[in-house]
Amino acid sequence: MNEPYRYIGKATQRNDAVGIVTGTVQYLNDVKFKNLLYAKVLRSPHPHALIKNIDKSKAENLKGVKAILTWENVPDWKGGTPGVTRILGRRLRFVGDVVALIAATSEEIAKEASSLIDVEYEILPAVFDEEEAVKPGAPQLYDEFPGNIVTPGFPIFGPKCLTAIAMGDMDKGFAEAEVIVEGTCGYANIPNPIPPEPPGAVALWEEPSRVTIWVSNQAPHVDRMTLSEIFGHEVEIFTHGHPVGGSFGTKIITWQVQAFATLLSRATGRPVKIIYTKEEHIAAFVLRPSSKMHARVGMKKDGTVTAVSGKWLVGTGHYSMTSQAQLAVGLGEVQIMTRCANWDLQTDIICTNRNASGSVRGFGGQELKCAFIPILSRAMAQLNLDPFEFIKKNYIKPGEGYFWRDGNWYIYRGIDYSEAMDKGAERFGWKEKWRGWLQPSAQKGSLRSGVGVGVHGNADIGEDTSEAYVRLSTEGTVTLITSLTEHGTGQRSNYVKMIGEVLQLPLERIFISASDSVIAPFDFGPVGSRGTYAIGSAAISAAEDAKRQLFQLAAPILGANVEDLETVDGLIFAKGKPEQCIPWIATGHDRTIMGYGRFDPDYTLANCMTTFVEVEVDTETGKVTLQNVVNATDVGQIIDPPGLEGQLNGCLGSSGIDSAIFEETIIDPTTGHILNANLIDYKWRTFSELPEIDNVVLETPISSHRFRAIGVGEVATSPGPSAILMAVSNAIGTWLHEYPVTPERVLAALNKVKSQEHAGGAL
Amino acid sequence: MRSFSHLNARTVSEAIAALVQFDGRARLNAGGTELFGALKDEFLPEYPEAVINIKSIKGLEYIKEEKGHLRIGALTKLSVLSESRLLRERYGALAEAAHAVAGPQIRNVATIGGNLCQDVRCCYYRYPRHIGGPINCARKGNGPCLAVNGDNRNHAIFAGRKCFAVCPSDTAVALALYDAQLVVVGPQGERQIAVRDFYTPIENLLQRTEIVREILIPAVTGTVTQSFSKFALRTPIDFAIVSVASLITLEDGICTDARIVLGAVAHNPHRALEAEEFLRGCRLDVEVSRQAGEFAIREAKPLSKNAFKIQIAKTLVSRAIFGQPAGFVLKGNFSETTSSTQMCSGKH
Amino acid sequence: MSDITVREKNKKISQAKRVTLIINGEQRNLEIGHLPHQVETTHTLLHTLRETLGLTGTKLTCDNGACGSCTVLMDGKAILSCMTLTVECGGKDITTIEGLKDRDTGALDPLQQSFIDHTAFQCGFCTPGIIMSAKALLNENSTPTEVQVKEALSGNFCRCISHYQVVRAVMAVSEGGA
Repeated sequence: MNEPYRYIGKATQRNDAVGIVTGTVQYLNDVKFKNLLYAKVLRSPHPHALIKNIDKSKAENLKGVKAILTWENVPDWKGGTPGVTRILGRRLRFVGDVVALIAATSEEIAKEASSLIDVEYEILPAVFDEEEAVKPGAPQLYDEFPGNIVTPGFPIFGPKCLTAIAMGDMDKGFAEAEVIVEGTCGYANIPNPIPPEPPGAVALWEEPSRVTIWVSNQAPHVDRMTLSEIFGHEVEIFTHGHPVGGSFGTKIITWQVQAFATLLSRATGRPVKIIYTKEEHIAAFVLRPSSKMHARVGMKKDGTVTAVSGKWLVGTGHYSMTSQAQLAVGLGEVQIMTRCANWDLQTDIICTNRNASGSVRGFGGQELKCAFIPILSRAMAQLNLDPFEFIKKNYIKPGEGYFWRDGNWYIYRGIDYSEAMDKGAERFGWKEKWRGWLQPSAQKGSLRSGVGVGVHGNADIGEDTSEAYVRLSTEGTVTLITSLTEHGTGQRSNYVKMIGEVLQLPLERIFISASDSVIAPFDFGPVGSRGTYAIGSAAISAAEDAKRQLFQLAAPILGANVEDLETVDGLIFAKGKPEQCIPWIATGHDRTIMGYGRFDPDYTLANCMTTFVEVEVDTETGKVTLQNVVNATDVGQIIDPPGLEGQLNGCLGSSGIDSAIFEETIIDPTTGHILNANLIDYKWRTFSELPEIDNVVLETPISSHRFRAIGVGEVATSPGPSAILMAVSNAIGTWLHEYPVTPERVLAALNKVKSQEHAGGAL
Repeated sequence: MRSFSHLNARTVSEAIAALVQFDGRARLNAGGTELFGALKDEFLPEYPEAVINIKSIKGLEYIKEEKGHLRIGALTKLSVLSESRLLRERYGALAEAAHAVAGPQIRNVATIGGNLCQDVRCCYYRYPRHIGGPINCARKGNGPCLAVNGDNRNHAIFAGRKCFAVCPSDTAVALALYDAQLVVVGPQGERQIAVRDFYTPIENLLQRTEIVREILIPAVTGTVTQSFSKFALRTPIDFAIVSVASLITLEDGICTDARIVLGAVAHNPHRALEAEEFLRGCRLDVEVSRQAGEFAIREAKPLSKNAFKIQIAKTLVSRAIFGQPAGFVLKGNFSETTSSTQMCSGKH
Repeated sequence: MSDITVREKNKKISQAKRVTLIINGEQRNLEIGHLPHQVETTHTLLHTLRETLGLTGTKLTCDNGACGSCTVLMDGKAILSCMTLTVECGGKDITTIEGLKDRDTGALDPLQQSFIDHTAFQCGFCTPGIIMSAKALLNENSTPTEVQVKEALSGNFCRCISHYQVVRAVMAVSEGGA
């Protein structure tokens, strides 16, 4: 039984709730600016081209046009990892790449101006498929990336950044195996999380070199850091965060739009706003990386994985910003899921002439597992192993270790998740429904049901650093000063709860600062699942620090030792003597008490999400219907039950489970156009088609912070897609190895249609 | 949107006069749910000089029976059609089809005239101007149909020619089933066009100075069962991958007449004449329905990625004739007693 | 018929100079023209609400009729303000999310309160549109079934997957007989 808390673990009202339901929360596009200009982007019609000539004279003469920028009149600012992609370049690398930026007094004028710019292109050969891109003679995207292979390693992760898993003795490992399978599987449908709020920014440049940027993101300090690398350290950068209308990891970095607005403001001296249209959001912002894995796996009858060798290809589109980081985290996560002593897993990140991949929830791990679990499944099937038992056996246990993103080996000191897995299996009825590989769990007429299971976990719950200030005002109020934005998880409210718990203060008396990189201390932001443990730790220790300072002031007044003091509802008293209390203000009305808290990275804890799914397949139409989902996890301590439920239910959308059912980005194979860049043709789950979702959440105290809690929000999407592939394969009695499981693919697998398509994997 | 003049027409004649005045460079607007998508994405070679609001025309919103016909005013909203008791009882396939369109907010404003006149949904044709587009193609009179060698999963499996985009209208499928006529008015007067003939591979037959005033449906009489089912990845929002409307006359379990229309498989609502012919005189059972499905798709010629639509069409036809459609088929869920369930009852 | 048409031809209709509509109970008389405070013929109701009138609670997401974020009530029915021209709203009664609070007391609509009580949102961006769709349903049917609630919200995009909590929030109001 966990400690009874006043707020922790109880449903409390989110502090932005009234604003959300009344429409008064100010998202970026809702903020009014004086003297504002509006930006539009002229985009490339070709997947690969050089700009030969640009004639902008007609556009410049249009009344209301204030600036037109092209590669010829902007500084040589570059982004990417490494920084080789010019903000406005002469070379265009995908359909939708930026040719020119226009600032005008209205959006319509800017848009009209974009159609008046005449551009002459030299069309270059393009390549869209990763495997084609690495062949000799393939069109080359960058001089810096010979063979279209992006420089490995993510500098922030240090010089030993994980780029491969190599350990043990492969010969020995395969020799010990009782079955060896080899195969290829992909997760190459590059789904797009598409939050409702599009990417955007407002920038105001002040000479000589200061820019203030209003952003929609997860952490303004990350924007400041990223932009500082691009603009140069002599540019003073202030960022102001706003509530985010959904991110799903994509708005960790929105440097493109921020740089566009900055350049245009620099050219005009006025604030410039850029808000992408939904078409731009889908066709010219970021997609999930594409993933293809070729692997050889050795396995024993008891489910022990004896060896894994192979190659993981990550497609990043026309450039990489975070793909190396995703790859490193993905490699770490696959070890957390698969206990194996012998690895030789190599990787390549490949660029092609399509819209870029970027940071997305599931961050590498979802991409790798969606390719790897189907390969493991073939070995399990040969050994007649239950995949649930396999997962339970192989998921990391205390005392075991893994190479994490920085290339260092860590020993896991968290809990054994077997109990959560068992409870989930029980709730789902796994034992009753699992009939063996390629066996439907039920059938009725043309309908076949099938079940699948997947798992994902991440040692990112303690990644990166966080800092927080907690300011006590002695009249009895508290302000958390943090750079965090609210991006939908409700975490800003959760930190208020944590501080309320530490200081035993009514939540109504705890305020939270606006989000910025000007005054608020550094925070890497709510990326991965680090919000509860990493950010929470900083907030808690800031509150504890403030309380300590308060008690140091109160102790002489009360004639007590600091260690003996307590505070409840703004009163201070010695333990057991609440009748002899003083209010905070007795320590002086004229002072500021500022507590500081910091969290430093800890890679020795990991979360875990096991997802069970049941699908129904109509074998006459190929339609796959998701019937039932059970998510099972252990979070140590629930902070906010409805907030947690929302995060777990989120397993469906934002390119999670549905990326195995109907979500995909459709690219013309010869021209590179994204053909479904709108919310009709890009498929998303509606209210009409909700499966049953059941979330099994255990609370086994975990050695994290004061409340012994960890986060799981990010990973809710990740176990589902491979579970769907497994479930559909079981339902129809034949292996599927491509995402999503469209009617076309299901019918082709059932030999009910001759499929002309031979793309994707083969096992 | 780029600028256009805007006029409110008070009568059909005023609307026609305005169309004439702009010499075809004006567009009529009813619900707006299709037009403004086109104007925002600017995928067409021409941009209208004017938008003529026809919602301001009084008296074009009605459903009435007279002289052996059902008459529907062109401005009648899809939500009204889907909720109409008269339609549900006697023209259930149309009520279902209207209900199967898009989502509730769209159905509250979209009109049947607009639904019939909407442009195709081909992803090449509609590729937006502002993402390096638009894309030229056969339908724009400039180049080949790009779907033939491209992503054609949603394109025609029947009678493809020049342009392989399919008729996206759900209500057209139901109306073709009833042999409905469009009453079209232009400067030269009034004419009637059968819904079935209204769509050619490149365009529809409405002249740029004409307006659809009314839909005329011959009365459905006798003991017929009818259905409309739509297959799509999702119930709301989506356009059909395949849809099927059927009208079966049964006497003592024997089919005396059958009409079957397939949607989203060709440039027009596609009448499955061979299947209809086959069914006449048959006692309906599983095997007969299966064979009817085969007849319905015999002439299909798929493109590289859309052969799966043939299997779906076959299944939808056979299920429309006999048997309970499985849970996946799009069906209106506004009522327990839809026309489709009428179809299913009494035969088991 | 052609005679009538010929006569009509000479009687050209002219563009309206202003449009009068009711927004959240208040009559608005908007000039049509090209000046910043005026409404262009091309302006959608969404644009007018957000940019001209400052009612930014109605959200712009797809601007193409596919996501429901811009849903408002027109004469009580849910419509998409991104696909509606302001100049075609003459005489219409529009309610936006800002208009749901009780005008006299400022009290939240029971539906809004229920969304708070059920934490029926995550990022909150699509919430105003969802609430307006739900409100339209409750206007017509004060005791909808769960299926009817889902149907009424089937045109509303929510990417965080707050659907389950939303359905509970709406059903709670429904059961309360609001």
